[in-house]
Amino acid sequence: MTWLEDAAARARVLEAQPQAALVSAELPLRANLSVLENIAIVPQFRLNLSYDQAADAAWALLARLGLTDCAFKRDPSLDCVERFGAKLLRAVIGRPPIILIDRPALLLPDIHYPPHLESVLQRLADLIEQCRILDYVWNAPLYAPR
Amino acid sequence: MERAPVRAPLIKHLALKVGLLLTLTAVLAVGLLVYVLYARGAFEPTQTVILLADDAEGVSTGMPVTFSGFPIGRVKRLELQDDGHVRIHVAIPEKDARWLRTSSQFVLERGLVGGAKIRAYSAILNDPPLPDGAERTLLSGDATQDVSQILARVKAILANVEAMTAAQSPINETLQNARTITGRMAGEYGVLEGVLGGPDKARRVVDALDRANALLASLQGVSLKVDQTLTRADARLFGAGGVMDQTERAMSQVNAILTDVRASLLKADAILKEAQGAAANVNSITADVKGATTDLALLRAEVDDSITKVNHLINEINRKWPFKRDVELKLP
Amino acid sequence: MQALIQFLTRVGEAALGWLAAWGRILTFGAHALIEAATPSAYNSAMRSVVMKQIYFTAWQILPGFLVFAALLSYVIIQIVVATARDFGLSEFALEMSIRVLVLELLPLLTALFVALRSGAAINTEVALMHINNELAALQASGVDPMRFEFTPRVIGGAVSVYSLTLLSCVLASVLAYVAVYGLQPWALGEFRHVIAKIFTPVALIALTLKSLAFGLAVTVIPMRAGLEAPRMLFFAPIAVLRGMVRLFFVLMLIEVASLSLVYL
Repeated sequence: MTWLEDAAARARVLEAQPQAALVSAELPLRANLSVLENIAIVPQFRLNLSYDQAADAAWALLARLGLTDCAFKRDPSLDCVERFGAKLLRAVIGRPPIILIDRPALLLPDIHYPPHLESVLQRLADLIEQCRILDYVWNAPLYAPR
Repeated sequence: MERAPVRAPLIKHLALKVGLLLTLTAVLAVGLLVYVLYARGAFEPTQTVILLADDAEGVSTGMPVTFSGFPIGRVKRLELQDDGHVRIHVAIPEKDARWLRTSSQFVLERGLVGGAKIRAYSAILNDPPLPDGAERTLLSGDATQDVSQILARVKAILANVEAMTAAQSPINETLQNARTITGRMAGEYGVLEGVLGGPDKARRVVDALDRANALLASLQGVSLKVDQTLTRADARLFGAGGVMDQTERAMSQVNAILTDVRASLLKADAILKEAQGAAANVNSITADVKGATTDLALLRAEVDDSITKVNHLINEINRKWPFKRDVELKLP
Repeated sequence: MQALIQFLTRVGEAALGWLAAWGRILTFGAHALIEAATPSAYNSAMRSVVMKQIYFTAWQILPGFLVFAALLSYVIIQIVVATARDFGLSEFALEMSIRVLVLELLPLLTALFVALRSGAAINTEVALMHINNELAALQASGVDPMRFEFTPRVIGGAVSVYSLTLLSCVLASVLAYVAVYGLQPWALGEFRHVIAKIFTPVALIALTLKSLAFGLAVTVIPMRAGLEAPRMLFFAPIAVLRGMVRLFFVLMLIEVASLSLVYL
């Protein structure tokens, strides 16, 4: 967890982590690609996998989060959980050294997000080197005490 | 690991369709290229004919060479030689080379519309075929060049016409002479003056005619007197039959001579009339004058002949007359 | 004096901005071309985008476009042939109609057709992608937008324009033959000589280059125009408008340049 005092603090943190994979409301999914394609495109590019291989990997990740139903949906028809899952998986599949989840309140406005984040990260724990959640300090009470 | 389900793709047979299109495009592109190369004769063995021309204006690389209206080759290369002549290399496919013979002529034609054309003419197709690399002169059959040549000729003709119509031109002088002649014809002695060149000469002819007339008049007198003499002779000297016979013969001769003289005079009249008619027409004047002079010469000869005959007759009468010379017989 | 200086400054800025915009277009095009010439750029994702682009740009419009090209060609050939006959120049009719259609009219019409359809679509899409920050998101997740979004479109567009041009030109040539000689094969020899006369190496190269330049312009300029848009949604129409005007200008410029290169 990284607690932010204000927007300026957030900017400073983002600047300090240029190699981090960001999960953010400001970085949308590619609108004319399905969720599966949005995730699969990363290994297709980075590892030069064929579409089938990349799609299999993406499908496996979606299955972990139980989101295979939305695999062929596109961004506008997703709900916030599905969209967040897709964005997170898009970051995870690239195996970055660090994943930053930027302002989860903005990404998951319709649910009580701290437990959801907890469960999701738990399911992907073996694939994530390091994950930090950037949230404002005034949202701290939402998180369960550790 | 769980496999992603194979889902019906958004676009059916995308790869197939795109592959089809790309293959079609590639085939067409290669086909077009090959066809163009074939059309340009890249796959045909060719032989070369080198045409020498003074001026290769309008000739360009790729230009066709036609035979009987069919293209049989094309210009491959043009080069300007040191002497200013142009060598045109023409590639002739071997299968078309049979149209070209050693006697073939090559003509560069430039029309008023359209590009220049090189045409080959082979009059005798039995001649030996043109060898590879043969050099031939390229003749020029140029419509535009013709125009300039025609213009040059027209200019020359116009210059001639100008020279003719100038004040001192021969034609003008001729016309002047014609005017002088017709002026003379209008003078006292008419056509004769015109033909003979002056009133003096004309007068001489007229005098001759007058004299002939006078002669005829006196001949008439003579014949009358002869008649009287014969009557008197009859009255005085009967029985001298030989003399009478001879005299009668002489008389008939005189009559014949007179007829001749009259005919001659008629001819002279006709000639004069002819000459007068001729005066109206300058164009026919020379021919008529020629005729008239010939006729006049004839007339004079006839008149001379008549006078000689009359003289002869009178001499005869004098010789044969049995009496002393009579003063009534006088020669004109 | 002050006003004059201000005016001159404005003019200078406008000119510099104009030049910079064209410079960015050229840089962008060059970048896409370099990318297209890099074998490692061709991964499966990129290939699929190329295929989709060709499908949308060429395959979808193929029947309609070919019918349109055939009709237009036939009408123009008939006009040229009839006019040439009236003026006693029938021997030039075939050559002239093929020259007009294949070398000039059909490539330009193809480019305009694709520009109006796919060029406008690409322009809008890129503008929206840019405004929505999708490109940055791609970049952030390790996908090069140049490689994934732009280069495939450039390749697809160029291939499509070339393909459509070639198909319509072959169609027009066949139609010209039929219109002049009728449906019989005996004039192929004469046709061959006309083709040989028209398609000199220079003409062939010029036609290919022109078609490729059209194809590049049809995709590069709209994409760059989309990228120029400020990150505000209401700028999307302006970006499309600018892109299409620039595209039209460039298409005409290419046509004029090719004409002057071939005929001067």
